[in-house]
Amino acid sequence: MILVIAEQRGGTLNRTTWETIAAAQQIAAGRPITIVLPGASVGTAARELATAAVAEVLTVESPALEPYTPDGYTAALQSAIEQLSPSLVLLPHTYQTRDFAPKLAARLNRPIITDVIAFKTTGGQSTFARPVFQGKLTAEVAPQGPAPHFVTVQVGAFRPDQAERGATPAPVRALPVNVEAGAIRQKPEAPFQQAKQAVDLSQAARIVSVGRGIKEQANIAVAQALADALGAELAASRPICDSGWLPMERQVGSSGQTVAPKLYLALGISGAIQHLVGMKGAHTIVAINKDPDAPIFEVADYGIVGDLFELVPALVKALKDS
Amino acid sequence: METLILWALVLVFTGAFLAQVATRVRLIAAAPNTFSVDHLGVRIGRLLLDVVLQRKTIGERPLAGLAHALVFWGFVAFGGYTVAEFLFGLGIADVTGTPWFHAYRIVLTPFAVAVLAGITYLLIRRAFFRPAGLGPTVSVESIVIAVFIVALMATFLLGWRLDESSPAGRANWWVHMLVILAFLALIPASKHFHLVLSPVTVFLKSPELGSVPNLDFEKEQVGLEAVRDLGSKAVLDAFTCVECGRCEVNCPAWEAGKALNPKTLILQTQDALLAGNREARLGDIYTEAVLWQCTTCGACENQCPVGIEHLPLIVGARRGLVSNGDAPGYLGSVYNHLERRGNIWGLGYDQREKFVAGAALETFDPARHDVLVWLGCAGAFEADFQKSLRSLFEILRARNVRFGVLSKERCTGDPAKRTGNEYMFQELAKANIEDLRAAGPKRILTSCPHCVKTIGADYQRLGYDVEVVHSAVFVEQITRDLRREGTRRDSVTFHDPCYLGRYGGHVDEPRELLTRFGGEIREPVRNRENPYCCGAGGGLLFADKEEEPGSRISDVRFRQLRETGAGTVVTACPFCSIMLKGAQTSAPGAEIEFVDLMTYVNGQLAKR
Amino acid sequence: MKIAVCIKQVPARDWRPRLNEARTWIREADATYEMNEPDAYALEESLRLKETHGGEVAVCSAGPARVSHVLREALARGADRAIHVEDEALGSADGFAVADALAGVMKDEQFDLILTGLQSDDQGLAQTGVVLAERLGLPHATIIMEVQVGDPAGSGDARLRVKRELEGGWFQWVAMPLPAVLTIQSGINQLRYATLKGIMAAKKKDIRRATAPPGAAPLQKIVSLYVPEKTKKTEMISGSPAEAAKELVRKLREEARVI
Repeated sequence: MILVIAEQRGGTLNRTTWETIAAAQQIAAGRPITIVLPGASVGTAARELATAAVAEVLTVESPALEPYTPDGYTAALQSAIEQLSPSLVLLPHTYQTRDFAPKLAARLNRPIITDVIAFKTTGGQSTFARPVFQGKLTAEVAPQGPAPHFVTVQVGAFRPDQAERGATPAPVRALPVNVEAGAIRQKPEAPFQQAKQAVDLSQAARIVSVGRGIKEQANIAVAQALADALGAELAASRPICDSGWLPMERQVGSSGQTVAPKLYLALGISGAIQHLVGMKGAHTIVAINKDPDAPIFEVADYGIVGDLFELVPALVKALKDS
Repeated sequence: METLILWALVLVFTGAFLAQVATRVRLIAAAPNTFSVDHLGVRIGRLLLDVVLQRKTIGERPLAGLAHALVFWGFVAFGGYTVAEFLFGLGIADVTGTPWFHAYRIVLTPFAVAVLAGITYLLIRRAFFRPAGLGPTVSVESIVIAVFIVALMATFLLGWRLDESSPAGRANWWVHMLVILAFLALIPASKHFHLVLSPVTVFLKSPELGSVPNLDFEKEQVGLEAVRDLGSKAVLDAFTCVECGRCEVNCPAWEAGKALNPKTLILQTQDALLAGNREARLGDIYTEAVLWQCTTCGACENQCPVGIEHLPLIVGARRGLVSNGDAPGYLGSVYNHLERRGNIWGLGYDQREKFVAGAALETFDPARHDVLVWLGCAGAFEADFQKSLRSLFEILRARNVRFGVLSKERCTGDPAKRTGNEYMFQELAKANIEDLRAAGPKRILTSCPHCVKTIGADYQRLGYDVEVVHSAVFVEQITRDLRREGTRRDSVTFHDPCYLGRYGGHVDEPRELLTRFGGEIREPVRNRENPYCCGAGGGLLFADKEEEPGSRISDVRFRQLRETGAGTVVTACPFCSIMLKGAQTSAPGAEIEFVDLMTYVNGQLAKR
Repeated sequence: MKIAVCIKQVPARDWRPRLNEARTWIREADATYEMNEPDAYALEESLRLKETHGGEVAVCSAGPARVSHVLREALARGADRAIHVEDEALGSADGFAVADALAGVMKDEQFDLILTGLQSDDQGLAQTGVVLAERLGLPHATIIMEVQVGDPAGSGDARLRVKRELEGGWFQWVAMPLPAVLTIQSGINQLRYATLKGIMAAKKKDIRRATAPPGAAPLQKIVSLYVPEKTKKTEMISGSPAEAAKELVRKLREEARVI
């Protein structure tokens, strides 16, 4: 049996759970799939999970599991796994999973293969592909020893819409576990987001950045619209901040902030080295510039040579449409 | 009777003189020895030109320099006269009646007139015209000395009119002698000590501008932390300072309104030495922030007429700070980049490889190639400078020069060396020297003046000797056979890189190239061997937000270049280019073109 | 405070991968090595805590002889002593084996706080710190952006308060007792550089060599390594503004997965 450990916070399912379900369904090869959902009161989320094409959904409920702590989750899931004896346990490779899953696997002395992007099954044995050396190589890893084997699936490696839904809802029942609240050593406070007033670009996940190509201060509104559509922070290269069109805290570059967002959109920025060193750490760089020779295209993942005043509104529209 | 009085006075005043000199000599002797007399020929030549012939003082400020030269030559000429009069007055010997002495006095007379003219001009200049370099207030000491000199010359000249045995004559003679004695006692504690020290200081000054010795880690040398670490040359420098202010008015940081003032640094050193606390931290004496405003352009040291070396002091003090972890934050990142990635921006090596492949560069092979081209950090990673390098490659190929590059380069270590991280510099240098030795070039060609200085001079001190030439010099040589064509002239201005013009002395080659290839040069203020720095050197390329008062050095220079009215600024250094282009983006409405010298030449070559 | 920092020596970030004959690991002879970057941040954090609260920092690493270089680097930055679990195989072993080896030498030392990077730049398993906590029986927290220590030496509540990074720009403070294990996120602080004095002093500091106890059989094995098809290349998108915009959004959503 394949076990999927679902993730929720405050009763809302994390989207990555559906990716994990999709992965489980693809690797199942006939084996039944059970979803385990730990938490305090997860009835609604459980019923949502029941729409998946799985054998059953088990809730692992205890007041000690809200809020999440690694001690609590490890204890609860250890008990669950010992009762269920799965052959394979799948989790999404989220920050939360990284916080407790290795502890759980170590407690049970079973292998845990993390950040998996694909798998291959030959003759009943599965190997799992994962990126190593900063993505320069891919490793094919085989778990050793008795079941269960733990696998965490890279976020986005599978698509949530690939998860098949069942014709009828799967049965939902509660799995009793004993979690000693007193043995939990962590005392978490409520999660929060950084204050909106202080502009800390170094924490931003997405950034839309403008350069001299924006031409006038009034045109910054065009970039702001894109930033709003992406839920991104607005940033700029030095000339924009020098001219006072944006405050100094929004400057990216060697004399401003160094940022490493998931997405960096450079609008009308040529890519002078003083700016590049401030954003080279971005995961995905998109450059829009009317000069095909602009150095920014050397470091961009995606580039469009064109007029940003036409492209940016088109982007905003494309984002709203999708 | 008079003889006895004179003896007493001579003993007292000479005693005062010697006591003060002794203090200073003791301080010099107590300092770690940093004197050197290598390149004897250069030193002697410099002594003759700069001290005897006053080349520097006249060169930079012609009128004042000439006036000073007259006073100086007069002073030297009067030496024999002064000695003779004292010998007479002390009753030791009397040559004052001899015919040759009489002839001597006749010869001295025009000198005395010249001295009077000179000192009068200088006095008026100091007291009424108040040039900037001489400080905000008029120095009382200078007035006193000037009055003394006037008195000495006046009394000498009066000696022709007055009968030496008359009361007036005797009084005149006594005034002369007393003034000399007072002068003697005043010298050591004043800037006029340069009368004694400056020939020594000039002689001991290194032939190389900005000569900062390597630290010996085996001996646990960490740089200059406190007063006790100052070397004997630095101590000598501190007492030689004439307070002329040439260093101050030429310093780009000072002109841009920053706190760094080279003259103040030297005078603070002097005060600290005389205060006697050998444990006083240099970082406290100079204030650390000031030390980090220096671009190591070398203007101060280059302008100094009395042989003071400012750069070893500043870099030495930086070393003292950096060795203790007190480098400013932005430099810490640079050091980490150099350590982890071997380049100043911490960029990945694949970018260099992409450039090398894209430009179809061959790996250097001494059997097949004439020169090794050193790309440098900017050459490996900076897209704009890579355009200039591509131009250079086209020129080399067009002129049938076979060249190759190293398969792996690290930063030469220039930013580490100039900011005081000697350990990082030596690590990079040793690794680069190993690779260079293995490659075995006879000649290294590079477009970065900082690389020229570092590989050419600093690596030499680590035992690696090779000819390093800047592309401007090399290209000038290989295009010499080409003649000027056409009559159309582009109006251009050339910004001399500090490390090429001032350090390297190569100011004619770029101009030759520009004129040869159709440029009409409009010179900015501060050019040739005395350019105004672009502001990148000494680690300042990496300095973050301007928190201090004053403008950006690069903004000041950009304004100077724009004021030439030329349509194009030609640069010959990647960092000058980065700084000045950056300055342009902050200057509203300035539509001036920037082009690297190689791109300019190649563009014109292609048209032929 | 007695702080331990576990660091790993990994191939330099700009090293180009070359595989060994069997294609089960890299050709180590070709690689240049450096300190794992998240571990460098953990080390910096430990040095700051020592500067604030006093005590000592011991830096530990498991691996072949070459690992001593990063231990010296750590000593040059201010760690007081080092422990080297020397073993050829541990350089390429999985998180459990490394954690077991480290736990073996650390368990008798009674550290107040153990820091390590959240994952390594080579295998990137993101497990070793958590498994180490489990083996030592200590509480832990991962992906930490800030560390506050209450009263480490006193008899009062020796509490630790740490800021966890959550996804999507969220954070969470968690209180824990000492001793504890933390895995540190890159960028938590600004890294100091190795000063000349530090480098000179490091030569006199102690590196204790220990051997790993014979480990259990590995629980996972790299069957093969290969170069993935896609390498970083700029993809230019053409077409009319509307077409290009739509295509870009699609690529960002499906390929890059950043929206």
